[in-house]
This record gives sequence, structure tokens and C-alpha cells, in this order.
Amino acid sequence: MSSYDGKKLGALHRHLHAHMPSDPALRVKALESLAIEKGLVAQETIDTWVEMYSEKVGPKRGAQVVARSWTDPAFRERLLDDAGQAIKEFGFEGHATEHLRAVENTPDTHNLVVCTLCSCYPFAVLGMSPIWYRSAAYRARAVKDPRKVLEEFDVALNDDIKIHVWDSTAELRYLVIPERPDGTEGWEEDRLASLVTRNAMIGTQRDLKVT
Amino acid sequence: MDGPHDLGGKDGYGPIDVDAPPFKEDWERRQWALSKNVPIPGGTIDFWRHGIENMDPVTYATQPYFAKWCLNEIAHRVDQGLFTMEEVLGGKPESRQDPPAEPLGMVGVLARLRANNTDFRVTMETAPAFTLGDRVRTLNTPVPGHTRLPAYARGHGGTIIAHHGGHLYADAGANGEHRGEHLYTVEFSAKELWGRDEPDTVCLDLWEPYLVRS
Repeated sequence: MSSYDGKKLGALHRHLHAHMPSDPALRVKALESLAIEKGLVAQETIDTWVEMYSEKVGPKRGAQVVARSWTDPAFRERLLDDAGQAIKEFGFEGHATEHLRAVENTPDTHNLVVCTLCSCYPFAVLGMSPIWYRSAAYRARAVKDPRKVLEEFDVALNDDIKIHVWDSTAELRYLVIPERPDGTEGWEEDRLASLVTRNAMIGTQRDLKVT
Repeated sequence: MDGPHDLGGKDGYGPIDVDAPPFKEDWERRQWALSKNVPIPGGTIDFWRHGIENMDPVTYATQPYFAKWCLNEIAHRVDQGLFTMEEVLGGKPESRQDPPAEPLGMVGVLARLRANNTDFRVTMETAPAFTLGDRVRTLNTPVPGHTRLPAYARGHGGTIIAHHGGHLYADAGANGEHRGEHLYTVEFSAKELWGRDEPDTVCLDLWEPYLVRS
């Protein structure tokens, strides 16, 4: 059982940081070796998990969800009503998605997602978050100055477009539904999904490029 | 707690590295896998986060993200008695699980990922104090332990835009209590938070104990 004593955890952190080798790669190796030797996890499981997050779980999942929301109005309604349930239709549920909420961009609103207190992110539907999403600079600035942050991502918003910044402070997670680009009428779901980027689903891209 | 993690609205941070990928180093991938596959049965996600919040502020600010996770995973296992400090620093296991964990192939890890979908809802016996459209104000007092009301949103007025029913209350979870409170999404104007005349808003998911009627 945990001690539930924050000060004790702080002391353990200081002791470990002072006494373990300073290279993070060696620290992770020490944890991995000990966990495997103690029989708590198999090496193969770690290898396969790494492979899964590089081959199978990533923003393509979210892109498929967005594309379906453009082509199937009934699905879009279910997604906006309860995204955590709606993504189960694809089998995409997993880490941090039970309380997923979809927020839609419109001609006069833009949505941007951040977690200022840690780095909450809907991993199972978007894959691992980009390093910038976890960075102090993004976490500090996204809530206070979203327009300047968006400029750094080459997104220039007119003054009359209202930005909603979603700070993921509880167990809800957010997925931005970008607007469907013009010139894609009649496209199949897979072709539409190929236009949807990870950044668009976080809100650091607004207009999708038709390729 | 007013720890090094509470970064929202802090000044002085430079440009965002907009091209940074999800992982730069192999050890980051392996730490992510370790965090999700080595069981840590005796705690809560809230106390896990509180461990990181209790890191020395200089260490928090300078260690890479998954290096903080690594230290935190070890610290929590030592705290729970799953690892000894001697095992961690000496590298020699003093005890072994018998039988050892079965290896998982792709089907197994995909199933584990789906099974990790966690429901935080709690059925509440009390009625919600607020309803959609209500004006509320957040508390303005620092909390010594874990809380999910960021400092930048303390003491400000906002509007309830969603009620999510009862959810496990993070502040209690960090003390090992399994207790729900009504959870709301509260919208704050940029004018209210930052004093700037812009149409933008910031929306936070906040539990009822953080809020008073405005």
C-alpha cells in the first residue's frame, strides 16, 4: 500500500536522484532490469508494447474517428454526445479515453487542448503525445496566450474567431474535431482520414490541407 | 500544493519546439512501456501524480519528461515496499515473483491497452449544487496536498457549461480515499483570468468543493 505521504515521496525522489546514475537511459535500464529479474514483467511484453505504440496506436486512429464524423451525421451526434462510448465502435478505447469529449471547430470558434498540471492526453486514440505538448513552454503559455502559441504553429486566427482552451484538469480528455476541408465532397472515409493530422486534433492546426 | 508542476500562465518560457516528435530516445519508449506493464497495485493515479509534484523543483524543471516518470515509478515502488532501495541502487533482486509474469505478444498488449480503459464515475447520493449556466467562483486558498485546481484559476468567476455527475475526487484519491464529488466544466473568460479584452475562454474540469456560488 502507498503511504499517501507526499513528503515521503519527495524524500524518496531526492534520494534516488542523488544516488542513481545521472543518465536517464541508465535509470530506465535499471528499472527495466529489476522489474524483469523480479518476474514482474517479461522483456517480450515491453518490446511488443513499444512496437504497438510505433505501429498500431497513433493519430491514425483519431483521424478515422474524425473522418467518420464528417460522413456519418448519426455517428457525429454520438461522438459529440459521448466520445468515450463512440470510439468503442472502433475498439479504440484504452488509456485515458473513457471520459473522452469531442469539441468541434466551427467557422467562428477554434478549440485548443492542454494539460497545465501534468500532461493528460487521450493516448489510446492519438498515440503518444508530441514532446512539445508535454513541454513547460506549451503548458505555461497555451492558457494565457493561445493566439501567440498558435502563431508559432503557423496558425493565424482572425480576431473574431473565438478560442476555447480546454485545460484537462480532471479525468476528461479532449479531442478536437477540425472542420472538413472544401473540395472533399464525395470522398471515402479512408481518404478523408489521410488529411487529418495529430496537431489538428489537439488544436495546433486549424485548416487541413487537401492533397 | 503550489509545486513546480503548476505551470499554467507562468511567464518566461520561450518558443515551443513545434517539430518535436513523441519520442526522441529509445529509453523514453521503454519507460512508457514499463509504466503501463509493471503492476503497481497499492496506490491511486492521484497519489502517483502527487509523487511527481513533490520532486525537488529544480529537478522537476530540468529532468526530461520520461526521466521524471522513471524516478516516480521507482519512488512509488519503494514507498509501497515492492522494491527496496538496496535493490534499486544495487541492481540485485532480493525476491522474485513466482511464477514470473507471462510474456504478452501483440494480441495480448492490444487487449491490455483496451482493458486499461478506466471509468472514474461515481454514483452520488447528493444532488449537484450547481446547474448549467450558474455563475461560480473558485476558492482562493492554496491547498497543501494534491489538487487539480491550478493556481491561475484560483479566486476567479466563471460559468458552469457542463455537469458530468460524480467522478472520483482527485484531492481525496491522493490520500487513498475512494470518494466521488460532482464534476463540472467551468468556462472562464480571458478577460477574467488575464485582464485582456479578447473573446477567448479557458475551460477547466473542476470538482464541486473547489467552487462557491458567485
